[in-house]
Amino acid sequence: MSRSELGRLTLVVLLFLVVQETVMLDLRIGGVHPDILVLLPIVAGIIGGPSRGATIGFGTGLVSDLFLPTPFGLSALVGCLVGFAVGLATQALDRTAGWLAPVAALAGSAVYEVTYGALGSVLGQPQMLHVALVRIVVVVSVTNAVLAVPAVRLMSWAMAEASTEGMPMSDAGVGAAR
Amino acid sequence: MAPPRRSRRPRTTLLILVLAAVSIITLDARGGFHVITSGVRSVASDAFTPVRSGVNAIVEPIGSFLAGSVHYGAVREQNQKLQAEIDQMKMQNAAAADQAAAMKQLTALLHLPYLANLQTVPAEVTDFGTSDFAATIDIDMGRADGVQLDMPVVGNGGLVGQVVEVSHHTATVRLITDGQSSVGVRYGPAPGSLAVLDGAGAGKPLNADLVPSNTPLTDGEVFTTSGLQGALFPPDIPVARVVASHTGATASQESVSLQPLADLAHLRYVTVVLWGPGS
Repeated sequence: MSRSELGRLTLVVLLFLVVQETVMLDLRIGGVHPDILVLLPIVAGIIGGPSRGATIGFGTGLVSDLFLPTPFGLSALVGCLVGFAVGLATQALDRTAGWLAPVAALAGSAVYEVTYGALGSVLGQPQMLHVALVRIVVVVSVTNAVLAVPAVRLMSWAMAEASTEGMPMSDAGVGAAR
Repeated sequence: MAPPRRSRRPRTTLLILVLAAVSIITLDARGGFHVITSGVRSVASDAFTPVRSGVNAIVEPIGSFLAGSVHYGAVREQNQKLQAEIDQMKMQNAAAADQAAAMKQLTALLHLPYLANLQTVPAEVTDFGTSDFAATIDIDMGRADGVQLDMPVVGNGGLVGQVVEVSHHTATVRLITDGQSSVGVRYGPAPGSLAVLDGAGAGKPLNADLVPSNTPLTDGEVFTTSGLQGALFPPDIPVARVVASHTGATASQESVSLQPLADLAHLRYVTVVLWGPGS
């Protein structure tokens, strides 16, 4: 990862963080607020494939953990798993298809939230499964599906040197899906 | 053209990252590493507070403007209603001042230690939890105002929770309804029996642990903090009132549900008690 790419990624993560910590925290739907930081590993997986999805998911997860009362490192763990899974699931698909990002965001966010609650519960916080999990999954997944397309645009800009992992060889020189 | 080499081994990357994350979680949960993560969180929170308030200052008026233009009629009507209420309250205020003086005297007479001799800091609630997975609130007072880790927080008529993260100008309070919260309490006729109130998640009633079976409890009975030596809270802070209790045929404990006295869903201002378990 080059320095300029790291700089762009930091900017995108900061933008997501500011929007999450200001607008999204005030926006409560049925007592649950959206979580757009969950989108970062998902779109990184779509654009960069499993390996980069996992790495960026881990990094953005650690940043989210700084602002969450849940165990430190849990978002990083779930972020790298989800980034990897989304990368793996989408690498055989046409990443430029319009439907891909919203569908991946919908499914990826749902998997993220369920895994988050389940792993938190396993890691000594049993109350994390005694929340309105269905409501959380619905609110987070739907808002992230709506925001998936702009998120992919931003992440494509940040990951200009996106890996060609899993892409057909003929597309290898083209770079990221835009 | 060959694809870059680094992306050839995604599974190894994943394995390393998972191991790193699990190590961080484990180290954070036990031992001195928590001091480091807590410090990093505090620094991040300090750095982010001005950004957050700056963006909020821009975003909130826009939100209010949009909401206001949509609800103009309702806002106007509400304004008139509020004006009437203010007039009403001005009248009641005079009476209330008298009652407050009486209340103060009564409190002194009864020697209620509830906050009587304790220093406190008032704080405004800035956020209702940054995670949907935990029942916490953020307040606008931090280390600079004397707030420290583990300090009790009260408000709206009862115990609210305990400070779990503190940065320079903000702090995070774990509410008593959070699943991680346990409060040592006292109930029944003096000197009172001891129990523990466990949280079961935001908006859910508290469960009492260690209440012997067939203990006579009336609905509405108030449980207060026990203040035993080494307890996390000072004594005699009202915590919750009984809403339901029953003993199963073979149970060794009575199952008691309690409603927190403080209205935790509508907190605007709280009071941090500058008290630590050692003091």
